[in-house]
Amino acid sequence: MLFEIEVNGRTRQVTIERARVGHGRYRVSIDGVPSTVDAAAVASNTLSLVFPDDGGRSCAVGVEETSSDTLTLHVNGARVPATIDGARLRRTAADAKGSGEQIVLSPMPGKVLRVLVGEGDEVAARQPLVVVEAMKMENEMSAPRPGRVKRVLVTAGTSVEAGRVLVIVE
Amino acid sequence: MPITTVLVANRGEIAVRIVRACRDRGLGTVAVYSDCDRDALHVRLADRAFALEGNTAAETYLRIDVLVDVARRSGADAVHPGYGFLAENEEFAAACADAGLVFIGPSADAIALMGSKTAARDVARRAGVPLVPGSDGPLPDGLDDTALRRVADTIGFPLLVKAVAGGGGKGMRTVQTAADLSHAVRAAKSEAGSAFGDSAVYFERQIVRPRHIEVQLLGDRFGTVQPFVERECSIQRRHQKVVEESPSPVMTTDLRRRMAAAARSIAETVGYTNAGTIEFLVDASGGFYFLEMNTRLQVEHPVTEMVTGIDLVEWQLRIAAGERLTIDPARALDPRGHAIECRVYAEDPDRGFLPSPGRIVALRQPSGPGIRDDSCAVPGYDVPVYYDSLISKLVAWGEDRPQATARLRRALREYEIHGIRTTIPFFSWLLAQADFEAGAFDTTYLDRLLAVRAGDTFATPSEDDETLAVVAAAITAHRRAGRQAAGGLSSGARSAWTQAGRLSGLR
Repeated sequence: MLFEIEVNGRTRQVTIERARVGHGRYRVSIDGVPSTVDAAAVASNTLSLVFPDDGGRSCAVGVEETSSDTLTLHVNGARVPATIDGARLRRTAADAKGSGEQIVLSPMPGKVLRVLVGEGDEVAARQPLVVVEAMKMENEMSAPRPGRVKRVLVTAGTSVEAGRVLVIVE
Repeated sequence: MPITTVLVANRGEIAVRIVRACRDRGLGTVAVYSDCDRDALHVRLADRAFALEGNTAAETYLRIDVLVDVARRSGADAVHPGYGFLAENEEFAAACADAGLVFIGPSADAIALMGSKTAARDVARRAGVPLVPGSDGPLPDGLDDTALRRVADTIGFPLLVKAVAGGGGKGMRTVQTAADLSHAVRAAKSEAGSAFGDSAVYFERQIVRPRHIEVQLLGDRFGTVQPFVERECSIQRRHQKVVEESPSPVMTTDLRRRMAAAARSIAETVGYTNAGTIEFLVDASGGFYFLEMNTRLQVEHPVTEMVTGIDLVEWQLRIAAGERLTIDPARALDPRGHAIECRVYAEDPDRGFLPSPGRIVALRQPSGPGIRDDSCAVPGYDVPVYYDSLISKLVAWGEDRPQATARLRRALREYEIHGIRTTIPFFSWLLAQADFEAGAFDTTYLDRLLAVRAGDTFATPSEDDETLAVVAAAITAHRRAGRQAAGGLSSGARSAWTQAGRLSGLR
């Protein structure tokens, strides 16, 4: 099988097929670089990988299905999001609406304490836009990329539920 | 007053801890749970469980009347308040006593006295213990700016405005110069009023780059007070402890002796019983100053247990039942080895430690020699939004600090949690910092370190990690596609994927 797998902004062409010899053994090629790996699913969320051609190197990768076309792999304590054949799907979504728009929403219920920006303001990446009080702490909500504040949908004192849109940055 | 059945008036990991200690002693246990805590671990570990209707703390774990009623209905003869919630609420302690229940903690009077920061300072002064320079008593309401300035000048800048009824870093403001004073007082009073229902504040000189070192103690009802080897709790983020260890890497035998004596002196001055902790600030020249007393069991009590082999919760139960302390002082004060604890919170360190509530889809906890994980989490556990987000305390013991650190690092690598973000990657990063390894830090260390850090994630994957991730993703996709074909499911990559995922989850 052939998959396009994107990790850390780079899409890799990956071919994978079962090796004829050995149960759970696969031949994998990533952007043309081949390897053989022996894989066992231990527990529902973990793959044990052994690389027989790499001195028997052994490791475990946690597999978390974060959405229908993305996984989060847990490798050596790092979280690595991966999208499988998602590039095609993302291009479609971006065409459908104004691309680059960032929707800043509250991930949990709480109360808006302060709104730090106004419509039209230019904002930097990760600049705090709204302060939401939740779980006994003050949390600063921001957008990951720079842009201009298109709409502010809450004011100080607004109670918000999980998923409530706070600010739209374009 | 023998105790037979204990109502655990708390939740989360500490409720689990208390239930276990009661079980160890053959005591019956009664749990309480809010609506969202129905599935919590402490509920099914206890003998009996009673529902508290509602979800917010105010509706549930803070309801003195409801808790006393549950105790009556369940036949419990003792109550353990844990930490947080009502643990340092003198009304709760008094209500328990009035209801004929043994409160597993100090007396209501001791809680009230030491719970007032200014009254506690008075006690320390009487006990002959050095204090952080500060105002004598709460600031009277309605002082004008000139009067405030006059008080502040006697204490010196920089200073802290602190809530008299406060704790946990709330109701505090730092003041560098006189110009910022009035505004800081207003802000601190406002925050104190809403957090503690008491807007009284006082001033305290801010000691430059102090270490926070605290002394655990136990007191029995016969006047015996036993201090323990100190805990170092200087690694704090915005005044919240995140890493604690015992012993302190900078302690000397002489300083330990003097601090233990000071702690004992304070406890004896108020006739303190059960568990408590005296917190001190220690400056660079080894001078120590009383900060405050916590009249309860603390979150970080495991590190003391690991270096002394003494079960503090067990002793809380025994003292409450009227037993005498029979601890060998050498065992309590001379540490064996070194222990370090990390507080695993459901927070995303890559997004400013934003709370990350949600379902823990998968969980693998570390283990092995010297590893202790006090946790309430199991796979499928829904971390609620209504309370703080502490999931577990991971503690490592070693024969010395380097071994404890190495084991803790290894355990953090083994600790895997899917479905929510946690502070685990942050701890792996922190434990690799040279200053941490050298034990060279103070209470400003972590905030300074985080402030200068560029925006990299805490666990940045290497290129090799990325390759492994790609291999695993490809294998996962291949297996799921194979199952889809074998199961004859309808095509459409996304929906079949999800269904195949559900199938594999049932295996």
